[in-house]
This record gives sequence, structure tokens and C-alpha cells, in this order.
Amino acid sequence: MIELVEVSRTVASGAGPLTILQPTSFRIESGATVAITGPSGSGKSTLLGLIAGLDAPSSGRVLLDGVDITALGEEALARLRGEKVGIVFQFFHLLPSLTARENILVPMEIAGVRDAAARASRLLDDVGLAERGHHYPSQLSGGEQQRVAIARALANDPPILLADEPTGNLDSATGRQVIDLLVAVNRARGCTLVLVTHDPALAARADEVIALRDGRVVDRHRPAGADAGGADAPAPPPVTAESRP
Amino acid sequence: MTFVARMAWREARTGAPRLLFFFLCVAIGVAAVVVLRSLMQTVRVTLTREARTFVGADVLLRSPVPWTSAERDLITRAFGEAGVGAEAELIQTQTMASAAPGQGSGVVRLVEVLAMGPGFPYYGTLELEDGRPWSHDLLAGHGVAVPPSFLVEMGLVVGDTLRLAGQDFTIRAAVVRDRLQQGGGFSFGPRIYVDVADLRRTTLLGFGSRATYQVAATVPPDRLDGLVDRLRDGLDRRASVRDWRTLEDRLGRNLTIGENYLSLVGFAIVVLGGIGVWSVTRVVVAQKVRSVAVLKCLGATSRQVLGIYLLQMLGLAGGGSLIGVGLAVAAAAVIPGRLVTPLGIEAVHVTASAAAQGVLVGVLVSTIFALVPLLEMQRVKPLLLLRAASSAGGGRHDRRTLVAWVVAAAALVGVAVWQAGSVRAGLYVTAGLAVVALALLGAGRALLAVTRPLARSPRFALRHAVVSLGRPGNQTRVILMAVGLGCFFTLSVRAVQGNLLHEFDAQIGGAAPDLVLIDIQPDQVDGVSRVVAPYVAHPVRLVPLLRGRVSAVQGRRLQLAGPDAVREHRRLTREYGLTYRLGLEDNERVTAGRFWSAPVGTGGGSDGNAAGLGPGVDTEVSIAQDVHDEAEVDLGDLIRFDVAGQPLTARVTSIRDVAWDDAQNGGFVFVLRPSPAVDRAPQSFVGFVAGGTDASARGALQRDLVRTYPNVSVIDVREVLQSVRDVVANVTLGVTIVGAVTLAGGVLILVGAVAMTKFQRLYEAAIYRTLGASTRLIATLVAIEYGLLGGLAGLLGAAGAFGLSWALARYLFHITWAPGPGALAAGAGLTALVVCVVGVLASVDVLIRKPLSTLRSE
Repeated sequence: MIELVEVSRTVASGAGPLTILQPTSFRIESGATVAITGPSGSGKSTLLGLIAGLDAPSSGRVLLDGVDITALGEEALARLRGEKVGIVFQFFHLLPSLTARENILVPMEIAGVRDAAARASRLLDDVGLAERGHHYPSQLSGGEQQRVAIARALANDPPILLADEPTGNLDSATGRQVIDLLVAVNRARGCTLVLVTHDPALAARADEVIALRDGRVVDRHRPAGADAGGADAPAPPPVTAESRP
Repeated sequence: MTFVARMAWREARTGAPRLLFFFLCVAIGVAAVVVLRSLMQTVRVTLTREARTFVGADVLLRSPVPWTSAERDLITRAFGEAGVGAEAELIQTQTMASAAPGQGSGVVRLVEVLAMGPGFPYYGTLELEDGRPWSHDLLAGHGVAVPPSFLVEMGLVVGDTLRLAGQDFTIRAAVVRDRLQQGGGFSFGPRIYVDVADLRRTTLLGFGSRATYQVAATVPPDRLDGLVDRLRDGLDRRASVRDWRTLEDRLGRNLTIGENYLSLVGFAIVVLGGIGVWSVTRVVVAQKVRSVAVLKCLGATSRQVLGIYLLQMLGLAGGGSLIGVGLAVAAAAVIPGRLVTPLGIEAVHVTASAAAQGVLVGVLVSTIFALVPLLEMQRVKPLLLLRAASSAGGGRHDRRTLVAWVVAAAALVGVAVWQAGSVRAGLYVTAGLAVVALALLGAGRALLAVTRPLARSPRFALRHAVVSLGRPGNQTRVILMAVGLGCFFTLSVRAVQGNLLHEFDAQIGGAAPDLVLIDIQPDQVDGVSRVVAPYVAHPVRLVPLLRGRVSAVQGRRLQLAGPDAVREHRRLTREYGLTYRLGLEDNERVTAGRFWSAPVGTGGGSDGNAAGLGPGVDTEVSIAQDVHDEAEVDLGDLIRFDVAGQPLTARVTSIRDVAWDDAQNGGFVFVLRPSPAVDRAPQSFVGFVAGGTDASARGALQRDLVRTYPNVSVIDVREVLQSVRDVVANVTLGVTIVGAVTLAGGVLILVGAVAMTKFQRLYEAAIYRTLGASTRLIATLVAIEYGLLGGLAGLLGAAGAFGLSWALARYLFHITWAPGPGALAAGAGLTALVVCVVGVLASVDVLIRKPLSTLRSE
């Protein structure tokens, strides 16, 4: 479960302090798929960074499975990310000097997973790249790189999967494949999926949409196709959100 | 394998171009350390192994005067008690050698004569040109052995006759090599070998001659120390006793100093490489920021990330160091023999200990220089993957970075101290390097500021070239430092050499005396003047010379009752050349007392009356200022001299300041007032004459003089200066090679720096092309950029060399400084050209690559 309590983020700018995220509270239950939408500069990526422990809030607390990550130091946060959080970026961010397989191996090696090699093969297979494991990122297309990035994010089977504009750098057909993959993963593994996206198609696949504007939650709703996950899909858990200026 | 090790390997695997540069930086420095240390270790091993052959015996006694019968008895008794196996008498002296009438080219040459008794040398041998084994029989019955070069010079062959001191000797053999260390390593001429009995039959050992009398012996090892101690206690203090082990110790000490000095030179080059490593690491860190952020996102801790790159760097440093050892082996194989033969070795072999030290130094220095930039990785925040602005937390140095700087600096000092074998030398070198590096950095910054206005030039290529010098991530300062340092090193050596040679030329130019006639006996003074007169424009200047030691001092501040007290005082122990005259030389000035103007007994003395000198006082003496200041001898003090066994007492009546560096007038510490007692003292005369530039006239003068007065030796200063020139040229060559290695290192760092920033250049060139720039325009832009860089580096190096040569000329060598702006300007120009050409060549693919592929990959 992800819980934000009065979380805000203010940064210094030339004209003085600039609040890019107003105090915000919400809770995302385990297994939910949530899309965070909004125009550029609305605070979407900031929110994602705070949930991932990549950034520290100016105020408030972020709790992952009951653990207050705002109280953790950098090293503890790194360990927590390795165990509990998988992240997928818009620009993939694969390590260019490592092959696709090695990129997937990295989080498992950091965590000291034993059967990492076999698991990496399975993950490559899961994302449809079983034959491309020895290729370097520069030898893969954008869609393939993003699939490797998804496999890498899933390497340690994290209970939380965060994705920052995962289709933002892909053409529509490839983007659709990536959406299908993320949703399938979410359904199959039961992990919590938080997506930051501009893509209405992707947001429509979520259980809940949180819309931001100027650093505030301005809307939250269940998209029309929220139950289209299939008859055997688990019922979407409730999402409660609250934001105040 | 751990995660850190795996990642280090994966990262290293794909960074080939960067690795090459890193390797080069480390390898060059390590190669320098290994070659220089190996050189000295080879010399040490060879010399200490052969120390006994340098002495030619177990023990060698030397005396500047003939052995007295009491000394002879002592030596015989001591040898008998020590169970000496064999002993031989040796005499070393100098004389003029000429060919017998009708033979040779007519050249007359000063030679060093080594007269040997049968059996010597007991260790080592004389190698003959024709391959025959050495035998003393070759010398028996007026035989002589000479070096082959001497035969060529004299136009003689084995079998011809050589005339020494009026006697004929048959040349029986040509000696290509001996190991005997005689006369402190310097000689006025080639060494020739005769039998000691034959030498005694000549007039060369007459009064006033300069000869060294020696006894060599073999001694059972367990008796050596006792014998040496006994002889040192019993023999006159003028005699020296040395055995092969003391020589070994002395050589060892000197070689250790030499080895440590050269290691410091090597260390300086390693540091230069270290600066390259620092530069590479900075670029790598800048390029790897995103990867580091990704790793942190995936759960890697800062310590793990630092571990990955530190381990990678250690691997590279180790690999680069091993390549450096390989380079050293290759370099040692191609070092010209003539460079190392003066050191007593035939070739340089890389030693295991030098290689191990080189590797260790390479790894340590690389670690030190890489650590600070690598620590920046700890500050990389994973958030930058989401928001590019949030990079490594600002530009301010935190406390950890400061601590790292301090630790790195301390470690660098530690390595320098280790390499120098001395805390002081290590500190000096590190401080010197820091000062030079800071000066170069500061000067580089200032010069960049000077060129900044060119960025407003209407010429496109010039404008953009200047802008490129200051582009983000530029290597300008590193290149300036590396190339500038190499240029400075090389030009300084050349400038100092130029100044020294200029000084030599000044010394032998014009009417300055360039022939020195020695061992002229008092009764030969007029005759020598007559013989010389037809050949010279100015008459020969004859200076009386008495060789004496201070045996007692009775003074106000200083009381030395006898020779033992003088020895303990240590300030006045050496043998002095004394002279007497009635006036001051041009380079002398009286600072206290009064100089006489007439001999004793004729008035004009400091007290105006010879009788006023006091009872038992033979004359007056004027002392040099140093003797007053350092040995505490004052006006009115009495000094007793021992002049070749004859006592002479003189009262100090004046103190002189002597300009010792005035080559024409030379200088004497003690100048005596002429007196009957001084006239009676054993003495000879030294003649100074300007022989002119005509070689045949100089030769004829020497020939005539030697025929008339065989005991008189002529030292041709022009020849001596030529030998000194040769020595200077050899030293210069050696140091120039070190400078060239530094410069080559600088150029390689330049190549690497170009490679490091190539990705940026490729991108810029692609954009220029898309905007319509031709290859020629881009090439001009690159050429101007590197031309400016090389010009600045050359200018910095030349300015440094200009200053250093001035400082050395003025404060170390005390010679007139000749700026030599032409050579320095040429050096600076050449540096600019080399940097420009290398820069353009290293950027060839920037010029030829199609823009689309570059833009697409971005």
C-alpha cells in the first residue's frame, strides 16, 4: 500500500521558493493500477519521484507498506527501491554499456538474488525478447528498450511498479504494446502500478485516474473502461485521494 | 564474483577508447619510473659487483708525496702481519707525450701516466684491442700501452715509439678498456701505462712534479679491516687508505642518491600522467552520471557505485602499469649504448624491483588522482532521471570532498617521500610540482582570458575556435599543463646548456690564456718564456706555486697547536696551492689590513719592517675572506704551513675578497709576501699563455716546449673545455630525453583529451555542416583551436624556461645569462605546430564523418 500524508514539495528558484506540489494526501491500495495525469509542470513526475524515494518531500510523509520512507537515509532508500519498487522511465534509462540481459540482471545482483540468470531469461521471455538478450541498448528499437526496462523493473518482483510516461517516447503502435505489457504484468503479478502519463489510452486502462494541475489534485475518477481488465481480473481496490491548497 | 566486480568489468569492457587514454597516462609515467630506476639499479649492481676491479686490489694506499722510509717500514710491517699476498707499487702522474722524430703526425698531447709494478691489477684486467691477454711483460724494458684513440690522434701504430720526458717507449699494445678508478674520475688526457721502474728512470718524478704514489696489495678478507685501521692510524695524514669495500659503500650511497633523484624525475612524469587520469576520470564521471542514477534507482548504494568505478579504475591502473613495464622493457632495449657506457654499464635491464615499484607507484598515483573526481558520483541523485535539473548537488565542495582532497594530497606526498627516500626531498618535489602546476593553471587561465576578445573576431573560424577553448568539459587547462610542463622541461635544459656553452666560449675567447704550463722549475722560468715567445702575442704569465698544508694556527680566536688540532678543526685540512707576489689581482680586493708592496726585508710591509714580524716568523700572508669568516683566522694571527715537508710561518696582515668565478685570474686562498724563506721553499711555476686560435701554431708551441723541457706539461684549456662540452652534451642529451618523454607524455595526454571530447566535437561539427560549413572551414576551426592551445603551452613553457635559465645562471652557475630568445621562440613555435598537427590528426573523424549518422545517434 502507498500512502501520502500532507506531502508537498517546494524548490528554490530565481524568484524565490516555488511550490511544485501542494500538500497532498492519498492512499493507493495494494494491487491497484493508478494513472496520474495532468499537463506539463503539473507535478506528476515530482509525485512519482516522491513515491519512489528518489526525492524528499518538503513536508509530509510517504509510507510504502507502512514504512515511512521520508525518515530513511539515502542508502536505506536505495535498498528499499531494490526490494519494493520497480521503475520504468520515459527514456528507458538502460545502462548503455550492458547488454539487455545484463541490464535485467543488475537489480537482482544488487539484491543478491541466487538464480538471477535463469530469472533474467524468464523475464526476457516474458517481454518477448528471448533472442535479444545479448544485444546492447543501442542495438534495440525504442519499444524493445522499453520492454527490457519493464523486465528490469520486474526483476526483483517488486510489490510496487512505477512508470513515468512509459509510452511517451514511442510511436502509438509500440506504445500500445507496452501498455498491454504493463497491464498484463499488473494483472498477473498483482503488484501496485502507478503510471504517470499524458496518454489518454493508457490512463483509460487504469483503475483510477488522479488528475493534477499546478501541483494540486484537481480530479480523481474511475475511467470508463476500468473494469475491462477481463472477467478473471481482481476487483480494483479503492483509491482515496485528497488534496488541499 | 560480487555485483561490484561484475559491474566494474562490464563498464570497463565497453569503454575501449577511454581505456586507451587511461592506459597511456599511467603507462608513460610507470615506464619512466621503471626505466630510470632500473638504470640506476643496473649501474649499482654492475659497479658494486666490480668494485674490486675498480681498485684493482683489496687495499690501495695513496700519497701525494713519495713515501718516507718510516712509512715504508710501517707498510712493510703491517703487510707482513696481515699476511698480504702480493703487493705492487704504482705511480700516477701527467706529462706531455710526443712521437719519436720521423713518426706520427707531430701532435703533442698531455697524458695521464699510470706506472704499474708487476702483477697489478690483481682484480680485473686491461682489455687489449687485438684480443691478447694482458701481461705486465708488455711494459717491461720501456714498453707502453695506450688507448686506440690516442694512437689515431698521434698518427701512431703499435710498434712505433712514444717519447715521454725525453725517453723513448715502444708502443706494445692498445688498451680498449680498463676498470681502474684513478684520479677521481677526471683526467687531463688519455691514460697510458708504463712500468714503474721505467718511470723512475725519467725526470718526471723530480721535485715539484705532481705525482701520486701508491701501493696496492691483496689481503685475506678477515685481515682487511685490521690492516686498514692500522695503516690509517700510522700513516701521514696526507696519505689515504682505501679498500674495495669502502669504495663499494661510497658507490652505493652515491647510487642510492642518484636512484632516488631519477625516481623523483620519474615520479614527476607519473604525476603528469596522474593529471591525465584525473582529467579522464572527470570526463568519465560526467558521462556516467545517468548510469549512476540508474544504478541508484535500481537499489545500488553510493558505496557500491563508488566501489564499481574505483575497482574499475584500479584494474585500469594495474593494466596501464603493466603496459608501462612493457614500455620500459622496450625503451631499455633501445637506449643508445653511448648514453649509458659513461655510467660503467653496457645496457639497461629492467629489474624486478623497479618493475614492482613502478606498478605500485602507477596504481597509487592513479588512485590518488581518480579518487576525488570519483567521489562526485556519491552525490549523484537518482531523481535526475525524472528531472534533468536535479544533477549532482551543486558545485560546492562538501566536507567529504575536502577530506578526500587532504587525504589525496597527503598520499601524494607519501609516495613522493617513498620514491625520493627522503622526507625533505619528497616534500620539496611535491611542493615544487604543486607550485608549477598551479602556476601553469593560473597562467593558462590568464592566457585564456587574454584570448577571449578574439571570440568577437569577424572571422568565423577564429571566433568559434576561441569559444571552443572554453566549452563545457573542455580539456584546455589539462592540455596546457601537460604540454606546457613538457615544453618547459625541454626548453629549460636547452637554455641552461646554451648558457653554459656560451660561458665556455667567452672564457676561451680573445686574449684570455688558454694554455696552462705546469711543473716549470724555478731554473726553467726564463727558458720557458723564451721558447714560448715566438708563438704568442703576449708574454707568458708565470705564477709561482707552492703546495702546502696548514699545520698550526696561533690566533686570537683560533688556537691549533699542531696537525692533529688542524684535522679536528676540519676547516683548514686540505692541501692548498700557495703563491707569492707584490700586488693584488684584478679579481681581488682587500677588506681588512694592508697588502704589501715590497718583499720582506726591503720595507713596504704592513708594518713597514720585516723585523716587526716577530721571532720565528718567515713572512706575511694575506688570507681569503672565507678563511676569516669560516675558519676564524684573524689579522695578526700566525699560520704555520708545511710546504712539501718544509715549515713556513707567516703572520696574517690582510684579508682579501676574491671573485672566485673570474676564470682568467683564478684565485688563491693564501698569498704570501715574497721573502728569503719563501724563495727557499720547494716550489714550481705555472705559466698562463694565450695560444691563439691557429691549431698548428699551438701544436708547434707544445712540441718545442716539450722537446726543450720534457718535465713541463701543457694543459690545453681548449681541449679540456671540449671535454667539458662533451660531458655537458651527454648530460644534456640525457636530461633532454627525460624532457622529451615528458613532452611526448603531454602530447599523448593531448591526443587522449581530444578523444575524450570527441563526442561533443562530432555533434558540433555535424551541426556546423548542416548549417552549411565546409570540411575546410571545420578543419581551419580545429587547427586554430589547437594552434592557440599549442601556442599558449609553448609560450608558457618558454617563459618558464626563460626564468629558470636566468635563475640557474645567476644563482647556481654564477655565469652571465644569455637569454637566447631565438631558441626559446623556436621551441615555443615548434610546440604550437606539434599540438596543432596532433590535434587536427586526432580529430580526423570529426572532419570526415557524415553529419546525419552523428545527429541520428544523438
